[in-house]
Amino acid sequence: MMFILLLSSLLSFAETTSTDEKIVGIFYMQPLFGHVHQSSVRTSASLTTIQCAHPVKVIESSKVSVSPEWAYVQVAEYRGFIMKQFLSEKKPDCFQGKYPKFFDALNMDLAELYYWGRLYDHYVQGETRVH
Amino acid sequence: MIIMFRAKLAFTSFLLLSFTYGHCQTVPKLQDEKELEVVDFKSIKKVLQQDGLSQAAQQKKKQVAVLKKEQVNLEQGRFNYPSEAEIWGFVSEYWLVKNAQILGWDFEKPDYGIEDSFKKTLEGMGFYQKKFKILLVNTPSLVRASMPGNEGEMILLLSVPFIRSLDLSKLEISILLLEDYFRLEAGYFKKSVGTEKLKKLAGTNFTGSKPDLSMIQELLKNYDNQINKKGYSFQQQFEVTKKMDAFLKASPELWNAYFRLLQKLQSFLKTNVQYKDYIKLYPSPEMQLKWISPDEKVL
Repeated sequence: MMFILLLSSLLSFAETTSTDEKIVGIFYMQPLFGHVHQSSVRTSASLTTIQCAHPVKVIESSKVSVSPEWAYVQVAEYRGFIMKQFLSEKKPDCFQGKYPKFFDALNMDLAELYYWGRLYDHYVQGETRVH
Repeated sequence: MIIMFRAKLAFTSFLLLSFTYGHCQTVPKLQDEKELEVVDFKSIKKVLQQDGLSQAAQQKKKQVAVLKKEQVNLEQGRFNYPSEAEIWGFVSEYWLVKNAQILGWDFEKPDYGIEDSFKKTLEGMGFYQKKFKILLVNTPSLVRASMPGNEGEMILLLSVPFIRSLDLSKLEISILLLEDYFRLEAGYFKKSVGTEKLKKLAGTNFTGSKPDLSMIQELLKNYDNQINKKGYSFQQQFEVTKKMDAFLKASPELWNAYFRLLQKLQSFLKTNVQYKDYIKLYPSPEMQLKWISPDEKVL
């Protein structure tokens, strides 16, 4: 009897921890465009394309394990992954926000927006140190 | 008696009503006038001056004027062209986006460890606080290119089929990228691709009209021409090669790697037809070898 009770309490504890979820905060997309990825791999499929300054809910979930460079996020109804280097705590000063009329006039199509987001995923970026 | 009193009361009421009606009809006030009465402080000017209220009102007036001006500036700012520096970074990426399928950069690529290797090479030569973006492309038709990025950063392109064909090491890739960095720093690209329209329109305002997008179209066309057809002149190649020679001499290991790389390129390009256009764009490994070869001593 005691064993059953212990087992059931342990199982219920496991269930609670597995659904544990915490909102880390609201962050903003930094590059001109970016993707919410299906998995935490640069070349993984895109769930949706978002543009600079789009708010992103960063979530910590015991169900999802993420490598340190990636964040598990929610954007509208999509849950996926964005590289942390693309997220900012403060709303960034975006090109399309600074020059809205010029940017709108370019009238980019969906394929261009998609590729622009992919571009940042493919760059090998670096910066030499300060002397 | 009561009848007399009723008659007097009726007469008085009649007089009072007709007076009120008459008065109301002769002095009708406009809403503006009423507002003016509220705003016009002339009648109590002295009292207000003593209380400092007129000064406060004037300050308020000034604040409103400043705010209004800022609002107008903000609205006009929405019609600004980006600055020249911002346009370069934007157009470089726009060109990469427009040529995504041709260049085939959206593919899973091997990790060559270029980031650390190139960083080390730059730092070893004293180039600090340099931002770079390297994009590996999956086509033999574009071997290499360098273009300006945002805020002083550089965008460097390199072909994976070319890396594989030549079996380039990390160090050799870094040396190729260093050459491209020197080309970009020398300003050859901007000089060749830039237009009068860019200089004229960058940073200006187009309120009341449509933006002149032919500036962007011209630049994109010039990018195509520079990267795929025009390339660099002998003079420019000479200057870059001499600069490489001067910088790499401090590190014999790097200088020897550069020399060997040029030899490798020379023999590879002679036999490989697929890369025949390379020499037209980057003339030429054979000449570069001559330019950096130590002078033969005459006894």
